[in-house]
Amino acid sequence: MARMSTGKKLAIAGLVVAGVTAYMAYLGASSSWQYYMTVQECLDNEPQVAGQRIRVSGTILPGSLAIAPDRQEARFSLGEAGRSMPVVCKGPLPDDLATDKPMEVVVEGRVEGSSLLRGDKLITRCASKYDARKKQPQAVADQRTGETVR
Amino acid sequence: MTSLGQLCLLLAMIGSGYAAFAAIVGARNEDRRLGRSAWIAALTAFAALSIVIMLLAYALVAKDFRFQYVTQYSDPLLPWHYSLSALWVGQAGSLLIWAWFIAVLAILFRWTSRQCPHELRELAFGVQMTYLVFLLAVMTFAADPMAPALTPGAKGEGLSPLLQHPAMLIHPPIVFLGYAAWGVPFALAAAALISGRLDAVWLHAARPWSLFAWATLGGGVLWGAEWAYEQLGWGGYWAWDPVENGSLMPWLTGTAFIHGLMTWRQGTLKKTTIFLVFATFALCNFATFLTRSGIFSSLHAFSKSPIGWMFLLWIAACLVGGALLVWRRRSQLVAERPLASFWSREGLVLLGIVALALLTVTTFAGTLTGAVSSLFSAAPIMVGLAFYNNVLIPTGLVLLVVVAAVPLVRWGAGPTRPRVRLLAITVAVGILIMLAALVCGVRSPVGLSVAGLVGALLTSTFLALATVLITFRRDGNTIRPSVMNVLFDSFVRRRRGFAGLLVHLGFGCVAIGIAGSSLGSHETDLSMTRGESVEFQGRTIRYADLVQEDRRQQVVVAAQLEVQESAGSSYMLRPAQILYRPQNQWGTKVAIHSTFGGDFYVIMHGGSVANKIHLTLIDHPLMRWLWLGGWVGLVGVIIALWPQRQGQASKAGRAAAHAIVPRPHLAKFTAQVHRD
Repeated sequence: MARMSTGKKLAIAGLVVAGVTAYMAYLGASSSWQYYMTVQECLDNEPQVAGQRIRVSGTILPGSLAIAPDRQEARFSLGEAGRSMPVVCKGPLPDDLATDKPMEVVVEGRVEGSSLLRGDKLITRCASKYDARKKQPQAVADQRTGETVR
Repeated sequence: MTSLGQLCLLLAMIGSGYAAFAAIVGARNEDRRLGRSAWIAALTAFAALSIVIMLLAYALVAKDFRFQYVTQYSDPLLPWHYSLSALWVGQAGSLLIWAWFIAVLAILFRWTSRQCPHELRELAFGVQMTYLVFLLAVMTFAADPMAPALTPGAKGEGLSPLLQHPAMLIHPPIVFLGYAAWGVPFALAAAALISGRLDAVWLHAARPWSLFAWATLGGGVLWGAEWAYEQLGWGGYWAWDPVENGSLMPWLTGTAFIHGLMTWRQGTLKKTTIFLVFATFALCNFATFLTRSGIFSSLHAFSKSPIGWMFLLWIAACLVGGALLVWRRRSQLVAERPLASFWSREGLVLLGIVALALLTVTTFAGTLTGAVSSLFSAAPIMVGLAFYNNVLIPTGLVLLVVVAAVPLVRWGAGPTRPRVRLLAITVAVGILIMLAALVCGVRSPVGLSVAGLVGALLTSTFLALATVLITFRRDGNTIRPSVMNVLFDSFVRRRRGFAGLLVHLGFGCVAIGIAGSSLGSHETDLSMTRGESVEFQGRTIRYADLVQEDRRQQVVVAAQLEVQESAGSSYMLRPAQILYRPQNQWGTKVAIHSTFGGDFYVIMHGGSVANKIHLTLIDHPLMRWLWLGGWVGLVGVIIALWPQRQGQASKAGRAAAHAIVPRPHLAKFTAQVHRD
């Protein structure tokens, strides 16, 4: 058998690595992809996204946020451009989620009937995006009640 | 104050603009007077830029709310050091500090590269000044750090509490310094292409700057990961967030470029190397585009901000300009000889470059999925962590194969028969270690492969060192051939080779850390009542008490967990919730018990009360090796960069000078300098 040239060997090795990488990427993408939408886009495409994994960004409407005493559940209305959808989010909540200021958040979960978003992960807009968040004037008050951490 | 700043900014832009023009034209026409005027203009621009940065720093520390920037990122109660760190928190401030770094590095470059040929140095300096003009133009026209406040007398909006952390004083400037430093090798490559001096001279000049940029950016990325792990308290260190990806991608291509420099010396992979340095520079700018253009909050925000378009145009201009220059010089960029063998160093380096490029391309694709899909569909999608983690497996394993084999293969030829034997020993030890890992309970194929390959890496490194030492001793290279003497002499002689081996060992440590902590990780959420005990991964954890401590700025509420390891040791962990009084905001302080075997990581969630706390327990095996790998790599880079002193080699070393293989590129370089 004629010896294969070095260039050919390297090309084959490169193609094998590229092929395996592309296949792994495809497997990863098909198991982990999710819709990534704003509230408005989500409401406009509701039939398409119902039941699918989705990540929705919006603002918690002022006054709508209710946090369970053990901070394992939050209910609120997620709004954007005059439209809103109800959200129930379970699991540990981020530390800076508070009822006294409007917050931009991202919720991961699934949309169920009547536009309810059931979230299992709540992220407040990442501080590393360096946005100057409008801070509401507020009294620096200790909100602890008894031994409750929050 | 603001008008003085704006005036200085304008002066800096004009100064650097003139410097860019005069340096490039002066170099092309061999007009040294023009070159000197460029130097003076650049120094003036640097001085003006320094005044701007000092003005902003002073305004931030003194809380001068006449500056719009100060009202956006500070408030009267913010401690002075965090107020100062706001310098790199906002868009305009971070562009300013980046531009200043570029000015500093450009001046250092021109000042320290006296031995670099005149034309190459002046052209590279001109390219760096052009880059500076671009950033100053962005600031002047789109993000003015010296803009006066719109509503004088405002109190300031304050700094996000998440950014009020000591790591934020250091981590962002290090990353920006890394981005700025990649501008130097880019400028040298562009200068080499413009002037047509594509011999080894520009490589020699680019090498230290590339290593510095590589280490700075890598250190910044790793530091950010460690900060996220210890301070953000979500249990991990890397989330494949666009901001993280933005800083990782230029580091990956930069790693490939540094290896491309070595293959260029051997006369191959020239176009690849040029492409890699242009890609690295473009990706540094792309990272800023990602974070600054608002493309991730929404596409609408992107179209509103002119900064995104400016960076996009700049990146396009650099890439198109680079491609045209490469086309023009294509005859000089052909390989001097074909690749000798698959199992030569250049063959393996090429394979490594392919793996790094694939990792970069997939990261790039994953990062932009959301933005690109929203162009074509009303229902945009994004990929999750599994996409990136999956890609990391084949590319990471290929890189491990390459670093494991590379110490035992030669440049320019396949392995000799003795080397083949050493490679066989390496493979055998790798398989033995894989079996040992299997016996120790590792079951994941990826984990076993990593264990085997790291074992092979250690073996090949050891064998390569032993070969060098034996050769030195046998050839009578030392007057007093004690082991220490031989070690020292061979170290001095082959310092760069040793440094490379050390950096590769650091990579091995990083691979152990990543594989161990991701493949062997266990996590559980639970609630505990006071006095209760639970079992988790061979540990008994007892919740003893919840203790509250009032400090001046904070209230710390910490759980006391008594942990008993099955191995016998016991310790106390105190995960806590902290109320930051000035911001009236709670934060999580995780507790970590770290050993080389692994980390035990505990988060106490908000909502915990004395008789019931909510915890997340995470077992991260081998986590510490990741950070250790970073330090090992840093030591390697410092050794590689350590200036070579004349007469540093011992008498014995000089006596043996004839035994050292001459380096053709150095000979060429010296000839070049003399001719100049």
